[in-house]
Amino acid sequence: MASDEVILETIDLDKSFGAVHAVRSVSWRVFQGRVNALVGDNGAGKSTLIKLISGALQPNSGGFRVRGQETRIGGPGGAFGLGIAAVYQDLALVENRDVVMNMFLGSELTRGPGAIFLDHKGMLQQAHQVLDDIHARIPNVREMVRNLSGGQRQAVAVGRALIRGGEIIIMDEPTAALGVEQTQEVLQLIDTLREQGKTIILISHNIQQVFEIADYISVMFHGELLGTRSRDEATEAEVVAMIMGRRSP
Amino acid sequence: MIGRLTQGELGIKGRRREQILFLMDNGIYVVTVLLFIGFVFLAPYFFTTRNLVNILISASLAGIVTAGYTVAILAGQIDTSTQGVLAVATVTTALLFEEAGFSLPLTVVFALLAGIAAGLFNGLIVVNGKIVAFVATLATQGVMLAIALFLSGGQTITIAREGLQEAVFIRVFGIPSSVWIMFLCYIIGWVMLTQTKLGAHIYATGADYRASLLSGVPVDRVIRVALVISALAAALTAVLVTARAKQSAMFGLAIAGSVDFVTALTAVLLGGFSLFGGVGRIERNLVAVLFLTILGNGLQLMDVATGIILIVRGFALVFAVILSVLRARMT
Repeated sequence: MASDEVILETIDLDKSFGAVHAVRSVSWRVFQGRVNALVGDNGAGKSTLIKLISGALQPNSGGFRVRGQETRIGGPGGAFGLGIAAVYQDLALVENRDVVMNMFLGSELTRGPGAIFLDHKGMLQQAHQVLDDIHARIPNVREMVRNLSGGQRQAVAVGRALIRGGEIIIMDEPTAALGVEQTQEVLQLIDTLREQGKTIILISHNIQQVFEIADYISVMFHGELLGTRSRDEATEAEVVAMIMGRRSP
Repeated sequence: MIGRLTQGELGIKGRRREQILFLMDNGIYVVTVLLFIGFVFLAPYFFTTRNLVNILISASLAGIVTAGYTVAILAGQIDTSTQGVLAVATVTTALLFEEAGFSLPLTVVFALLAGIAAGLFNGLIVVNGKIVAFVATLATQGVMLAIALFLSGGQTITIAREGLQEAVFIRVFGIPSSVWIMFLCYIIGWVMLTQTKLGAHIYATGADYRASLLSGVPVDRVIRVALVISALAAALTAVLVTARAKQSAMFGLAIAGSVDFVTALTAVLLGGFSLFGGVGRIERNLVAVLFLTILGNGLQLMDVATGIILIVRGFALVFAVILSVLRARMT
């Protein structure tokens, strides 16, 4: 896997909240078409790093290189423009709206003058297609999100990221609240995304799961990036030691 | 939400839950038809052309307020300033038409502008002040009532000049224009809410403010627009009320009972809307308004004391609130 291409790179990224130094000079490389896992204990700085990449936060210093080009990520809109889409931990879905409206929320297809009217037919077709592509098992796209299972919800949220042109998809603890079967569904979903050439950034607490699905495992500790291992060369013991702050030799 | 039960605690799930929700949503159609049939037999003169037209006129005034109100509540905003907007707009209408001698179209335009201004004011307090609409609009209503009181000098302004009532209540196919205007409001409302991007954003903002914000919905603008639509509908109603009575409507208790915040709220909740926003269909509110109007009208014809009628209406609101909270727990 040494020949994998870097799609996104953070350069000396630094972020403090008052006295709390949440992200310390992190230079992280995310590989194209791979599942890049980011692990670390609570408060290690994973969420802050992810928010910097998704444009939800601005760094104090440092920058980004996306597809070889140095750039800044001005906000969530800027991140979308670069093909970076975050799937939030609570998924940011609207319970009392159906699957289609959720997938297009904030980026509705329109027709007619002034882009006033909704293109219901176009949205329905595209929603079907995107969900088929990721092998999502959602029988009825007019179903309210409140009636969906955890795995189905994850699929809807990912579908929304794809509709927005997401090439780099950030998933924050996607299986945290799920049962065994639903978890398998989400892992399959991640696998499908990888097969389709998408880049996935996966934040997880679950080391076993990370070893099951990830290609690269990066560990954060106290705001620093301790290192990145390819799955094949790392052992669970080594990663756990890193999470607890022991730098590997 | 206080004392919110989970679905598990309610013991209702899946299909069964959807069936109950369907009943709650559509029960209003059945109940209205039953009530109508009941009064045909029980209330003298109920089933006469004259009375049916009367019902439609009454319903049209409450209906227009409710249509605008629906939009606000869908966006998650409980707008309690209806009474204040009505007061400002009725005084504006009467003063401009009667005392300033404005032409009819110009009077209407200014009355509606007063409504838009009131809505923008509400939006300013709710959005910029970050204050819950229920409280914010309660406060702005006080300001609006005071402004109306000041402008009118505390007097009812009688309209002696010809042309207002005649023009506004032209009959088309035997039915006064206010009824047609109401239907038009509901058609526009239905198209806006179901067929436009703005409508989708209104539903989403009301259903989940945070999720909508994270998804890039311009939530603050949506709330402003919803509050303006609500106030605009109230102002339009004020013009019609003023024209019908040939005087500025008294505000406070006097309009209460037919065209006010409580009626609108009752209708919206009976229509299956959530008090917390994001759920409901505007056409059901039209039926709910008819239900409330028929209820009042029929009881009156049966010579039931006004006090009793008010109590019945009060219970209608209590029932509607219970319905709404039950529904919120289930979804």
